Amino acid sequence: MELIINGTKRELAAETVADVLRLLGLSGRPVMVEADGRVLKIEQWETTPVVPGMKLELVHFVAGG
Amino acid sequence: MSRDTWQVGGQELSSRLFLGTGLFPDPYVQMEAIKASGTEVLTFAIRRIHLDSVEDDSILQHVEPQKYIYLPNTSGAKTADEAVRIARLARASGLSDWIKVEISANKRTLLPDPIETLKATETLVKEGFTVLPYISDDPVICKKLEEAGAAAVMPGAAPIGTGLGILNPYHIGLIVEELSVPVIVDAGLGTASDVALAMELGVSGILMNTPVAKAKDPVMMARSMRLAIEAGRLAYLSGRIPKKRYASASSGLESLVIE
Repeated sequence: MELIINGTKRELAAETVADVLRLLGLSGRPVMVEADGRVLKIEQWETTPVVPGMKLELVHFVAGG
Repeated sequence: MSRDTWQVGGQELSSRLFLGTGLFPDPYVQMEAIKASGTEVLTFAIRRIHLDSVEDDSILQHVEPQKYIYLPNTSGAKTADEAVRIARLARASGLSDWIKVEISANKRTLLPDPIETLKATETLVKEGFTVLPYISDDPVICKKLEEAGAAAVMPGAAPIGTGLGILNPYHIGLIVEELSVPVIVDAGLGTASDVALAMELGVSGILMNTPVAKAKDPVMMARSMRLAIEAGRLAYLSGRIPKKRYASASSGLESLVIE
Protein backbone atom coordinates (compact mmCIF):
# COMPACT_ATOMS: atom_id res chain seq x y z
CA MET A 1 0.00 0.00 0.00
CA GLU A 2 1.03 3.59 -0.42
CA LEU A 3 2.43 5.28 2.70
CA ILE A 4 3.93 8.72 3.18
CA ILE A 5 7.22 8.15 4.95
CA ASN A 6 9.30 11.16 5.96
CA GLY A 7 7.32 13.26 3.50
CA THR A 8 7.79 10.93 0.50
CA LYS A 9 5.27 8.47 -0.97
CA ARG A 10 6.39 4.83 -0.84
CA GLU A 11 4.72 1.59 -1.89
CA LEU A 12 5.28 -1.09 0.76
CA ALA A 13 3.68 -4.49 1.43
CA ALA A 14 3.34 -3.86 5.16
CA GLU A 15 0.61 -4.55 7.70
CA THR A 16 2.16 -3.02 10.81
CA VAL A 17 4.66 -0.31 11.67
CA ALA A 18 7.12 -3.06 12.57
CA ASP A 19 6.76 -4.45 9.01
CA VAL A 20 7.59 -1.01 7.59
CA LEU A 21 10.78 -0.85 9.64
CA ARG A 22 11.76 -4.37 8.58
CA LEU A 23 11.14 -3.64 4.89
CA LEU A 24 13.23 -0.49 5.11
CA GLY A 25 16.10 -2.34 6.80
CA LEU A 26 15.71 -0.42 10.05
CA SER A 27 15.04 -3.31 12.45
CA GLY A 28 17.21 -3.19 15.53
CA ARG A 29 18.26 0.38 14.87
CA PRO A 30 17.65 3.24 17.33
CA VAL A 31 14.62 4.63 15.52
CA MET A 32 11.68 6.68 16.78
CA VAL A 33 8.30 6.57 15.02
CA GLU A 34 5.36 8.92 14.71
CA ALA A 35 2.27 7.56 12.93
CA ASP A 36 -0.33 10.12 11.79
CA GLY A 37 0.87 12.54 14.46
CA ARG A 38 0.99 10.01 17.30
CA VAL A 39 4.37 9.06 18.75
CA LEU A 40 4.68 5.30 19.22
CA LYS A 41 6.52 3.43 21.92
CA ILE A 42 8.77 0.63 20.67
CA GLU A 43 6.37 -2.00 22.03
CA GLN A 44 3.56 -0.48 19.93
CA TRP A 45 5.32 -1.05 16.59
CA GLU A 46 4.11 -4.67 16.22
CA THR A 47 0.54 -3.84 17.22
CA THR A 48 0.02 -0.64 15.22
CA PRO A 49 -1.50 -1.37 11.80
CA VAL A 50 -0.64 0.81 8.84
CA VAL A 51 -3.39 2.06 6.54
CA PRO A 52 -3.16 3.49 3.02
CA GLY A 53 -2.05 7.13 3.02
CA MET A 54 -0.73 6.94 6.60
CA LYS A 55 1.93 9.51 7.39
CA LEU A 56 4.93 8.01 9.14
CA GLU A 57 7.87 9.95 10.50
CA LEU A 58 10.97 7.86 11.14
CA VAL A 59 13.62 9.80 13.04
CA HIS A 60 16.80 9.16 14.98
CA PHE A 61 19.49 10.85 17.03
CA VAL A 62 22.06 12.81 15.03
CA ALA A 63 25.02 14.96 16.01
CA GLY A 64 23.97 18.16 17.69
CA GLY A 65 24.65 20.58 20.48
CA MET B 1 37.40 18.82 49.91
CA SER B 2 34.65 16.20 49.66
CA ARG B 3 33.47 15.24 46.18
CA ASP B 4 31.94 18.33 44.57
CA THR B 5 28.95 16.69 42.93
CA TRP B 6 25.67 18.24 41.81
CA GLN B 7 22.25 17.07 40.72
CA VAL B 8 19.97 17.57 37.72
CA GLY B 9 16.52 16.04 37.87
CA GLY B 10 17.56 13.76 40.74
CA GLN B 11 20.60 12.49 38.83
CA GLU B 12 23.93 12.98 40.60
CA LEU B 13 26.73 14.25 38.38
CA SER B 14 30.45 14.67 38.95
CA SER B 15 31.41 16.40 35.71
CA ARG B 16 30.11 19.94 35.20
CA LEU B 17 30.51 19.81 31.42
CA PHE B 18 27.77 18.78 29.01
CA LEU B 19 29.23 18.18 25.56
CA GLY B 20 27.48 18.56 22.20
CA THR B 21 28.20 16.00 19.49
CA GLY B 22 27.94 18.24 16.39
CA LEU B 23 30.67 19.44 14.04
CA PHE B 24 33.49 17.07 15.04
CA PRO B 25 35.87 16.24 12.19
CA ASP B 26 35.32 12.48 12.57
CA PRO B 27 33.89 9.92 15.00
CA TYR B 28 37.31 8.92 16.37
CA VAL B 29 38.26 12.48 17.31
CA GLN B 30 34.79 12.92 18.77
CA MET B 31 35.12 9.86 21.02
CA GLU B 32 38.58 10.90 22.18
CA ALA B 33 37.33 14.44 22.90
CA ILE B 34 34.38 13.05 24.85
CA LYS B 35 36.77 11.00 26.98
CA ALA B 36 39.20 13.91 27.49
CA SER B 37 36.36 16.23 28.53
CA GLY B 38 35.28 13.93 31.36
CA THR B 39 31.64 14.64 30.46
CA GLU B 40 28.77 12.46 31.64
CA VAL B 41 26.08 14.10 29.50
CA LEU B 42 26.00 14.21 25.68
CA THR B 43 23.60 16.23 23.56
CA PHE B 44 22.04 15.19 20.28
CA ALA B 45 19.55 16.48 17.74
CA ILE B 46 16.58 14.60 16.28
CA ARG B 47 16.24 14.38 12.49
CA ARG B 48 14.54 12.26 9.84
CA ILE B 49 16.33 9.08 8.79
CA HIS B 50 17.67 9.15 5.23
CA LEU B 51 15.78 6.19 3.79
CA ASP B 52 17.83 6.00 0.61
CA SER B 53 21.17 5.48 2.33
CA VAL B 54 21.03 2.10 4.03
CA GLU B 55 24.10 2.46 6.24
CA ASP B 56 23.55 3.31 9.90
CA ASP B 57 24.24 7.03 10.17
CA SER B 58 22.85 7.36 13.71
CA ILE B 59 25.26 9.16 16.00
CA LEU B 60 24.64 6.50 18.65
CA GLN B 61 26.76 3.94 16.79
CA HIS B 62 29.79 6.05 17.74
CA VAL B 63 28.98 6.31 21.45
CA GLU B 64 29.57 3.65 24.09
CA PRO B 65 26.09 2.53 25.17
CA GLN B 66 24.84 3.08 28.75
CA LYS B 67 27.87 5.16 29.62
CA TYR B 68 26.37 8.60 29.18
CA ILE B 69 23.18 10.46 29.93
CA TYR B 70 21.57 11.54 26.68
CA LEU B 71 20.26 15.08 26.38
CA PRO B 72 18.40 15.31 23.06
CA ASN B 73 17.50 18.80 21.90
CA THR B 74 14.54 20.25 20.02
CA SER B 75 16.70 22.23 17.58
CA GLY B 76 14.87 23.21 14.44
CA ALA B 77 11.64 23.91 16.35
CA LYS B 78 10.21 27.40 15.91
CA THR B 79 7.16 26.95 18.15
CA ALA B 80 6.30 25.27 21.44
CA ASP B 81 4.15 22.70 19.59
CA GLU B 82 7.04 21.70 17.33
CA ALA B 83 9.38 21.41 20.31
CA VAL B 84 6.89 19.23 22.22
CA ARG B 85 6.52 16.97 19.17
CA ILE B 86 10.30 16.52 18.86
CA ALA B 87 10.58 15.91 22.62
CA ARG B 88 7.96 13.16 22.51
CA LEU B 89 9.81 11.51 19.61
CA ALA B 90 13.09 11.73 21.52
CA ARG B 91 11.58 10.05 24.57
CA ALA B 92 10.11 7.28 22.39
CA SER B 93 13.72 6.12 21.89
CA GLY B 94 13.45 4.68 25.39
CA LEU B 95 16.94 6.06 26.01
CA SER B 96 16.24 9.29 27.92
CA ASP B 97 13.50 11.47 29.34
CA TRP B 98 15.79 14.48 29.45
CA ILE B 99 15.09 17.18 26.87
CA LYS B 100 16.86 20.41 26.00
CA VAL B 101 14.13 22.79 24.85
CA GLU B 102 15.64 24.84 22.05
CA ILE B 103 13.28 27.06 20.08
CA SER B 104 14.96 29.56 17.80
CA ALA B 105 13.11 32.72 16.85
CA ASN B 106 15.62 34.19 14.42
CA LYS B 107 17.66 32.52 11.68
CA ARG B 108 20.62 34.90 11.90
CA THR B 109 21.06 34.91 15.68
CA LEU B 110 19.37 31.60 16.59
CA LEU B 111 18.35 33.39 19.78
CA PRO B 112 15.68 31.51 21.74
CA ASP B 113 12.01 32.52 21.68
CA PRO B 114 11.30 33.03 25.40
CA ILE B 115 7.50 32.83 25.15
CA GLU B 116 7.45 29.59 23.16
CA THR B 117 10.23 28.16 25.36
CA LEU B 118 8.17 28.81 28.49
CA LYS B 119 5.06 27.23 26.92
CA ALA B 120 6.98 24.14 25.83
CA THR B 121 8.61 23.82 29.26
CA GLU B 122 5.24 23.94 31.02
CA THR B 123 3.81 21.23 28.75
CA LEU B 124 6.82 18.92 28.92
CA VAL B 125 7.15 19.20 32.71
CA LYS B 126 3.49 18.11 32.99
CA GLU B 127 4.28 15.13 30.75
CA GLY B 128 7.05 14.05 33.11
CA PHE B 129 10.12 15.07 31.13
CA THR B 130 13.30 16.34 32.78
CA VAL B 131 13.33 19.70 31.05
CA LEU B 132 16.44 21.82 30.49
CA PRO B 133 15.47 24.90 28.49
CA TYR B 134 18.03 26.90 26.51
CA ILE B 135 17.10 30.54 27.03
CA SER B 136 18.38 34.12 26.86
CA ASP B 137 20.46 35.50 29.73
CA ASP B 138 17.46 37.29 31.18
CA PRO B 139 16.97 36.75 34.94
CA VAL B 140 13.17 37.24 34.76
CA ILE B 141 12.45 34.59 32.14
CA CYS B 142 14.99 32.25 33.76
CA LYS B 143 13.06 32.50 37.03
CA LYS B 144 9.77 31.83 35.23
CA LEU B 145 11.27 28.68 33.70
CA GLU B 146 12.29 27.50 37.15
CA GLU B 147 8.77 28.15 38.42
CA ALA B 148 7.42 26.16 35.46
CA GLY B 149 9.38 23.15 36.72
CA ALA B 150 12.58 23.19 34.67
CA ALA B 151 15.16 20.81 36.17
CA ALA B 152 17.92 23.24 35.21
CA VAL B 153 17.92 26.52 33.32
CA MET B 154 20.45 27.11 30.53
CA PRO B 155 21.05 30.76 29.65
CA GLY B 156 23.21 31.50 26.62
CA ALA B 157 26.44 33.42 27.07
CA ALA B 158 26.22 34.69 23.47
CA PRO B 159 24.54 33.40 20.28
CA ILE B 160 25.20 29.74 19.39
CA GLY B 161 28.54 29.07 17.74
CA THR B 162 29.81 32.67 17.97
CA GLY B 163 32.53 32.09 20.56
CA LEU B 164 31.98 35.65 21.82
CA GLY B 165 32.14 34.60 25.47
CA ILE B 166 29.95 35.91 28.28
CA LEU B 167 28.43 39.13 26.93
CA ASN B 168 26.59 39.94 30.16
CA PRO B 169 28.34 38.55 33.22
CA TYR B 170 26.14 40.73 35.44
CA HIS B 171 23.02 38.92 34.20
CA ILE B 172 24.59 35.46 34.52
CA GLY B 173 25.55 36.32 38.11
CA LEU B 174 22.03 37.56 38.85
CA ILE B 175 20.48 34.40 37.40
CA VAL B 176 22.68 32.30 39.70
CA GLU B 177 21.55 34.41 42.68
CA GLU B 178 17.84 34.23 41.77
CA LEU B 179 17.47 30.54 40.93
CA SER B 180 17.49 27.44 43.13
CA VAL B 181 17.80 24.92 40.29
CA PRO B 182 21.18 24.50 38.57
CA VAL B 183 22.17 27.17 36.06
CA ILE B 184 24.10 25.85 33.06
CA VAL B 185 25.67 28.31 30.63
CA ASP B 186 24.81 27.02 27.18
CA ALA B 187 26.13 28.47 23.92
CA GLY B 188 28.39 31.32 22.88
CA LEU B 189 31.56 30.41 24.78
CA GLY B 190 34.84 30.40 22.86
CA THR B 191 37.73 29.27 24.98
CA ALA B 192 38.86 28.13 28.41
CA SER B 193 38.88 31.59 30.01
CA ASP B 194 35.17 32.02 29.11
CA VAL B 195 34.42 28.75 30.85
CA ALA B 196 36.46 29.69 33.93
CA LEU B 197 34.64 33.05 34.13
CA ALA B 198 31.25 31.35 33.93
CA MET B 199 32.20 29.00 36.75
CA GLU B 200 33.56 31.91 38.82
CA LEU B 201 30.14 33.57 38.46
CA GLY B 202 28.72 30.56 40.28
CA VAL B 203 26.99 28.59 37.55
CA SER B 204 26.63 24.86 38.14
CA GLY B 205 27.74 23.70 34.72
CA ILE B 206 28.56 24.41 31.09
CA LEU B 207 27.10 23.05 27.87
CA MET B 208 29.30 23.49 24.84
CA ASN B 209 29.94 22.06 21.42
CA THR B 210 31.53 24.32 18.78
CA PRO B 211 34.56 25.51 20.82
CA VAL B 212 35.66 21.91 21.30
CA ALA B 213 34.54 20.38 18.00
CA LYS B 214 35.93 23.16 15.80
CA ALA B 215 39.21 23.70 17.67
CA LYS B 216 42.33 22.78 15.71
CA ASP B 217 42.89 20.03 18.28
CA PRO B 218 39.46 19.09 19.67
CA VAL B 219 40.84 16.48 22.08
CA MET B 220 43.29 18.90 23.68
CA MET B 221 40.61 21.61 23.82
CA ALA B 222 38.24 19.17 25.54
CA ARG B 223 40.86 18.63 28.24
CA SER B 224 41.39 22.38 28.47
CA MET B 225 37.66 22.90 29.09
CA ARG B 226 37.64 20.23 31.79
CA LEU B 227 40.52 21.94 33.57
CA ALA B 228 38.97 25.41 33.13
CA ILE B 229 35.76 24.19 34.74
CA GLU B 230 37.70 22.82 37.67
CA ALA B 231 39.78 26.00 38.00
CA GLY B 232 36.76 28.30 37.80
CA ARG B 233 34.76 26.17 40.21
CA LEU B 234 37.56 26.12 42.79
CA ALA B 235 38.00 29.90 42.45
CA TYR B 236 34.26 30.36 43.03
CA LEU B 237 34.24 28.10 46.10
CA SER B 238 37.41 29.55 47.59
CA GLY B 239 36.23 33.16 47.37
CA ARG B 240 38.15 35.68 45.31
CA ILE B 241 39.57 38.91 46.77
CA PRO B 242 37.58 42.08 46.25
CA LYS B 243 38.74 44.33 43.41
CA LYS B 244 40.50 47.53 44.58
CA ARG B 245 41.38 50.69 42.69
CA TYR B 246 44.91 51.16 44.07
CA ALA B 247 47.88 48.97 44.95
CA SER B 248 48.49 47.31 48.29
CA ALA B 249 51.96 45.82 48.76
CA SER B 250 52.40 42.14 49.60
CA SER B 251 55.18 43.00 52.11
CA GLY B 252 55.16 45.94 54.55
CA LEU B 253 57.98 48.46 54.69
CA GLU B 254 59.16 47.47 58.19
CA SER B 255 62.84 46.28 58.31
CA LEU B 256 63.52 47.55 54.83
CA VAL B 257 67.26 47.50 54.02
CA ILE B 258 67.14 51.03 52.66
CA GLU B 259 67.45 53.62 55.49
